[in-house]
Amino acid sequence: MIRTLNIILVITAICALVGVYALKFSVGDTAEQKAALERQIDRQEADLSLLKADWAFLNQPANVAPVIQRHVAELNLQTLSQDQFGNFAILPMRLKAPDTSALNSLFQSLDQGVDPITQIIRESN
Amino acid sequence: MVALDADSLPFALEGERKLRRGLTRARIRWVIVVLVLMFIAVAGRLIQLGMVVQDTSIEGRARDLITATRPAILDRNGLELAVDIRVPSLFAEPRNIIDPEEAAKGIHSVLPDLNVDWLRDRLSGDKGFVWIKRELTPAIEDKIMQLGIPGLDFLTESKRFYPGGHEASHILGAVNIDNQGIAGIEKAMDNDDVALLQQIGLARGNELAPVNLSIDLRVQHVMHDVLTDALSRYQAVAAAGAMMDIKTGEILGLVSLPDFDPNDPVTALQKDSFNRMTAGIYELGSTMKSVTIAGALDSGRVKITDTFDARFGVRFGRFTITDFHGKNRILTLPEVYKYSSNVGAIHIMQQWGKDDFRAFLHKMQFDVPEPLQLPERRNPVVPKTFSDIVAATAAFGHGLSVSPIAMLRAMAAFANDGVMVLPTLYKTSPEDAAKTYVQVVSPATSREMRYLMRLNALQGSGTRMNKFAAGYRAGGKTGTAEKVVKGRYDSGHVLSLFASVFPLDQPRYAMMILVDDPHTEPGQGGHTAGWNAGEATGRIVAQVAPMLGISPDFNPLLDDELVPPQLR
Repeated sequence: MIRTLNIILVITAICALVGVYALKFSVGDTAEQKAALERQIDRQEADLSLLKADWAFLNQPANVAPVIQRHVAELNLQTLSQDQFGNFAILPMRLKAPDTSALNSLFQSLDQGVDPITQIIRESN
Repeated sequence: MVALDADSLPFALEGERKLRRGLTRARIRWVIVVLVLMFIAVAGRLIQLGMVVQDTSIEGRARDLITATRPAILDRNGLELAVDIRVPSLFAEPRNIIDPEEAAKGIHSVLPDLNVDWLRDRLSGDKGFVWIKRELTPAIEDKIMQLGIPGLDFLTESKRFYPGGHEASHILGAVNIDNQGIAGIEKAMDNDDVALLQQIGLARGNELAPVNLSIDLRVQHVMHDVLTDALSRYQAVAAAGAMMDIKTGEILGLVSLPDFDPNDPVTALQKDSFNRMTAGIYELGSTMKSVTIAGALDSGRVKITDTFDARFGVRFGRFTITDFHGKNRILTLPEVYKYSSNVGAIHIMQQWGKDDFRAFLHKMQFDVPEPLQLPERRNPVVPKTFSDIVAATAAFGHGLSVSPIAMLRAMAAFANDGVMVLPTLYKTSPEDAAKTYVQVVSPATSREMRYLMRLNALQGSGTRMNKFAAGYRAGGKTGTAEKVVKGRYDSGHVLSLFASVFPLDQPRYAMMILVDDPHTEPGQGGHTAGWNAGEATGRIVAQVAPMLGISPDFNPLLDDELVPPQLR
């Protein structure tokens, strides 16, 4: 009776021992993984902060302006002057009905190979 | 006992049993004693371990303080002005270093700017922690790690980075290597709460909410650009400017040149690069006439239709005050403003009363330090009471030194229906700003002042400004204050100022531009304020107005509507 009990207890103890050790090692493993992940997060956060700083730097007017200055000639860039602004008030009102005679004369001139718009552009230049 | 009763077995048996029992009891007692001792030892060791104080400080400072972060600073549209970047810093634990000689050589091979002898010194001994070099790059971190020297390690520190460089330096200020603010808004934030947060350990990682300033980075850039140009164009010693939303008091841009690079905090402490807008006080010259005239008109004792005799100078004992652009005739009040007549301004002030003038200066907050959040500020110098001559010179801006911000604030109030707002560097809602409103002059006076400002741009000393800012209905007052050189006013060295507001039909923004000791631009007319501070103002308005949603309008009716009914 007592012997059986002892055997059961011994087996339980051995099982518990094995279990606890296994648990200990797995916890150690997990802790290591956690530390590694934390290191990785730390590293990535640091990288991210650098990238964000980079992005902020590239977006600064102080950084964009010289880039524009360099390309003024190639892209034919010009500063917007005050008289280039328009507003809705200066647009002519829409016609009540299509101006058929004007359209006819436009088509006629196009048929003859004369584009009035091109002429206007040429004259303004 | 055994020997005594050797022949009597039962006795002997009993004795043997007794003997064994006694022996067992003694053994149990010993075992108990040993076990108790063992437990006492374990308990003692536990107490000992509990008593050990871990030294987490770094050279006397808490480790947490070193890695503390600061909130990002953004402009009003969310563009970054200052961010934290995480950088590795190299430290050593000399007590764990086996061979300082080898370690020193190893580090020197990666960081050649460190002296080998200094390194060897630093790595020897049994200290727990010494910095080797702070704020390195990840690439150097990798190289040092590859050396595999025991006792060397890295700590991730937060380093402040200002992506705009010079551009907003005087607003932002700078921080030292321990991330504490030493100037500008960084220092102001520390004085408020960031330092406390760092102290109690709440400022970790990216937890701090970013701070929105009132600055518009586009305006700031334009202002910096134009003033940098002004500095060389007019060969000036310094140039500064600030622009404010007159409804909310938000400062949209504030520049003072020469400035510094906040990424290199040492340059922040150079004497010449102080913030002229807040830490400088100046005799603001003729720009003060706006204040004199606004106060006089508001008192009711002077009317916009009044005329003033500017034929002769005003005598005070030995001194006679005359006009720079002398007209030598009787001038109407708008003409006094337009031609910037000193004599006229004195007569206006005298008709109003010098004590009321002094009281009005206090009402306009000219005699208290400007209220911006920046720690760099100076007390203005305004005499407590005005004598006749002091009041006379003060009427055209001499004999009292005030901050340019005070004038900016006054101009904003004169344009904004007489309501003065508290200037701020933090983004503010109109509702919060309304709580700081103070009515300083009547809306009627404000209307007359708007007319005068626009008149000066159309016909007076602001025409150079208006040439550049045409269509944006800007107006304002020039000021050319002679500087005191060796105790005397010297007409060769002046401080040029331009205080302006735009667009005057629906006033929204006020601006103050200051050019210190300008010279005549080759091929141009002069070195008075209209030619430098005025032109700079015009250039800035022309560039920032479209960004701020103001479209040009050349309708002459807008200017006509500004004319007060009495003068039509």
